[in-house]
Amino acid sequence: MSRDAALLHVDGVSKSFGALAALTDVSLTVHAREVVSVIGPNGAGKSTLFNVITGLHGPTRGRVFFNGHMITGRAPEAVNRLGLAKTFQITNVFPGISVYENVRVAAQSRAREAGHLASLWRQPDVDGAVMELLAAFGLDTRRDETAQNLSHGEQRYLEICLALATKPTLLLLDEPTAGMTPGETREATALIRRMALARGLTLLLIEHDMSVVMEISDRIAVLHFGQKIAEGSPEAIRSDPRVIEAYLGGAD
Amino acid sequence: MSSPLSPRVALVFVGLALLPLTPWMSKYYLLLAFDALLFGAVAMSLDLLIGYTGLVSFGHAAFFGLGAYSAAVLLERGVSSLWLSLALAVVVVGLYAFLVSYFATTRRGIYFALLTLIFAEVVYTVFRYTQTFGGSDGIQGLPAPSLLPGVLVDTPARNYYLVLSYLLFAYLVCRMLVSSHFGRVLAAIRENEDRARFLGYDVQRYKMGVCMISAVLTGLAGALYPGRAAYATPDLLHWSISGEFLIMVMIGGLGTLVGPIIGGAFFIVLQEKVSSYVQWYSIVVGLVLVFIVLFVPKGLLGFRGALRLNGFRRGPA
Repeated sequence: MSRDAALLHVDGVSKSFGALAALTDVSLTVHAREVVSVIGPNGAGKSTLFNVITGLHGPTRGRVFFNGHMITGRAPEAVNRLGLAKTFQITNVFPGISVYENVRVAAQSRAREAGHLASLWRQPDVDGAVMELLAAFGLDTRRDETAQNLSHGEQRYLEICLALATKPTLLLLDEPTAGMTPGETREATALIRRMALARGLTLLLIEHDMSVVMEISDRIAVLHFGQKIAEGSPEAIRSDPRVIEAYLGGAD
Repeated sequence: MSSPLSPRVALVFVGLALLPLTPWMSKYYLLLAFDALLFGAVAMSLDLLIGYTGLVSFGHAAFFGLGAYSAAVLLERGVSSLWLSLALAVVVVGLYAFLVSYFATTRRGIYFALLTLIFAEVVYTVFRYTQTFGGSDGIQGLPAPSLLPGVLVDTPARNYYLVLSYLLFAYLVCRMLVSSHFGRVLAAIRENEDRARFLGYDVQRYKMGVCMISAVLTGLAGALYPGRAAYATPDLLHWSISGEFLIMVMIGGLGTLVGPIIGGAFFIVLQEKVSSYVQWYSIVVGLVLVFIVLFVPKGLLGFRGALRLNGFRRGPA
């Protein structure tokens, strides 16, 4: 059954904010090179799950393993250096510097000099990797533009470029097509899938657009009120009565 | 990486080096020029934090004053070597800056500024209200330091060349830093600290690093001060001095390095010239500063279009 080793393993994670139980005993396993989507109505705990995985919040209970490391409670920068990158639901780039410099500073975080004394006088050469990424997302002609002047769609792509520049093995995408037109969404979905395939990436994504979810996912996990109520192939999820009830508001 | 010293800036330094040869540079003007360049260097060091990293320090007087006291304590005890003064200033200011930045960088924005202020006020209180370093009188009547055995820095012209050399050194260090990988990470922190963390950067380490570099550069400038003034007093550590440093950066132009040098020099000359005419000089100085902030919000370097100084840009290309 296991075609690849488990890359990410979320083990019985609960997270409460005061009296609010945002996540209750959620477990999830993602294997290498899989594309897994997390869906659920607003407030289901999807973003909280991502925040626990990436180290922004420590879980109240439970553990998270990534690539053989226990990463529960580790800082976001430490988790990222293990090869786990995240894109944000609300565009989160470096607004006042150029597109090129945005991606360069991301790519340089993996350079040999990063964090060493030599970084005080040296500028690691990552030009090739940066231009390759920009070209893949059609941003190469915009390289000298200040990031805040990009269109919404371009900023969404820059967001993904930043995460990819850190050479992750697992990429968490929090609503990558948020705010895109249907046409842009189709294009972005195809592009993300191509990039994942070309780079041997594993994807875990939160997405509201069901056409995207059904098209891209190998497996889907459904969260509802902080609990995982279903998991399975797109076909199985589409016809799962619990999922239909959750989405159509049958919950009492 | 392009050369850290652009032809235009090199020309300015050559001009500054020739300045004492002109007939109207009396001792008075040489000492005024000394102060202008010294505080210009301090403002530039502070710009590393404010303009390039987005951290506002309200405690740079402590770094400056500790540097000055480091030199004064040695001179008072008959250790005249300038190099030992500078070395002691690096150690003292470096250790103090490590302590301050370790705590201050855990907070952001106004809380960072307040923590740097609180630490600096503690230092001021210790120097002002205990007699260990002379209390309110400070350390007075210091002899001139020596560059080499037998070579004293004892004239205004020698002091001027000393501070000009220091300014050049500090400028090259800052220019190299902001165009290095380290400098690009600082810009990323300024733009979006949280995102920098998610790209794998330990932002606290970077912030502590730039705080310590800025502090040590400020402390080195401070260590040159007793050689010119023959004293170190607790006034140098007062919070109002930290405020003046901030004003110098603001009126010069954030994130330009050259701008704050101009801002520091402008502030010193303005203060000196106005105070030699009227006692209520701070009102005049204040009005001029209000005018600059209102009408030239990007600082004096904002005039660069008119003055054709467009070689000075915000950050390296």
